[in-house]
Amino acid sequence: MTVPVNSASKPTRRRRVLWGLLATGTMATMAPAPPSPGRSAPKEARFAETYRGRRITGASHGAGPSGDPCRAMWHVTVDGHPLPLMRRADGSWMTMVDHYQSYPTPLLAARAAVDELGPTARPAAPDGNDGRMVHGGGRSERSRTPKDHVHGVHA
Amino acid sequence: MVYTRKDVSTLTRAERRRFVGALLELKRSGEYDDYVRMHIEYYTPDGESGLRAAHMAPSFLPWHRKFLLDFERALRRVDASVTVPYWDWTRNRTRTAVPWTEDLLGGDGRRSDRQVTSGPFAFRNGRWTITAGVTDTEYLMRDLGRSHDPLTLPTSRDVESAVADPLYDTAPWNSTSPRGFRNKLEGWGPGHPPASWRNHNRVHRWVGGHMVSGASVNDPVFWLHHAFVDLQWSRWRRRHPHARYLPAEPPAPGDAQHGRIVARREKLPPWDVTPQQMEDHGAIYRYA
Ligand SMILES: [Cu+2]
Ligand SMILES: [Cu+2]
Repeated sequence: MTVPVNSASKPTRRRRVLWGLLATGTMATMAPAPPSPGRSAPKEARFAETYRGRRITGASHGAGPSGDPCRAMWHVTVDGHPLPLMRRADGSWMTMVDHYQSYPTPLLAARAAVDELGPTARPAAPDGNDGRMVHGGGRSERSRTPKDHVHGVHA
Repeated sequence: MVYTRKDVSTLTRAERRRFVGALLELKRSGEYDDYVRMHIEYYTPDGESGLRAAHMAPSFLPWHRKFLLDFERALRRVDASVTVPYWDWTRNRTRTAVPWTEDLLGGDGRRSDRQVTSGPFAFRNGRWTITAGVTDTEYLMRDLGRSHDPLTLPTSRDVESAVADPLYDTAPWNSTSPRGFRNKLEGWGPGHPPASWRNHNRVHRWVGGHMVSGASVNDPVFWLHHAFVDLQWSRWRRRHPHARYLPAEPPAPGDAQHGRIVARREKLPPWDVTPQQMEDHGAIYRYA
């Protein structure tokens, strides 16, 4: 195998793109889209339940930003913390917490995430400023320089 | 010089100590967590938009091969004698077998919170705090064999069913590809769990805890598992000498996978290499 000397040898030094990537895919952090007059009313759905002692809520709004009604936007939370959902090609749903399996519905994916989170763990949440992922008080934050960011894909 | 990746069960006491020492040093320096983050960032499922290089895609194997190579180079900067050992889970199949020993990766998580409390990566030792996670949990978690609903590791027959397929991969080049070595090994099977959890995916589930999350790299068994997966690619190539990485050409415009996957001679992000360049590792390392 040929491995060029100048190939990027280190993983990304910045995580800023991380949450953006999740949010783009799932639209989990987007505000609900207002119903658009003149088009068929978006199908709305929501759920709220206490599962194994944890409060799960979910709300969907019929169309994604592309207007594709099959790609419903879901905003799901566990005890108030956002739980980003991602989709598989077969239409099923998965989360970062339980990432080697997918589920037929957002509710089942959220319950499976709670199974993995246990009684107290929180899903990591965007910090609200530049979308960087934080948890545990951002202890792991270290200064990064943009040149360390080697990706051309998501940036 | 070509170096050798060994079966973890054959490592001497000194080799185990040096491997663990290099892992702890990369963790101390912060470099380890960069690998955790990179894996999280690249785990885009196939129902999302954009290019996916690492999972649910033909480049699952070359992506992880390059990922391991980079990590192994980092380990070898710490200690030039170290290579990534592989865990043959078709042979070492119990919760107390290697690599789950005190002098390697430590044992199972405890029942109450799945916290790993033995070995070098136990939280109380203060050298393995989880900082790049998808939850706020600070300690490493495992649930070997999935205690509440026991699961078995894949068998050598399961692996053989993947390696026997002479087709590398096939349309739609994702987690629903019905045939092909890549998805049979990656392990997105049809039907319902646990039957649908095949080979690579099933091992992630069997280990449990961090290994079922996008932050699976936090458990150092990730590297031993993926070295064994990588070894299967080498075996597959030996078994089918004329078979190649597929697709050879990028899907045409209009194809649902256009711009979504990496063809044989396309750049494999984030690196400057192509799947073709990753097919033969014989000049860098070999498996014992
Ligand atoms: Cu991976
Ligand atoms: Cu894996």
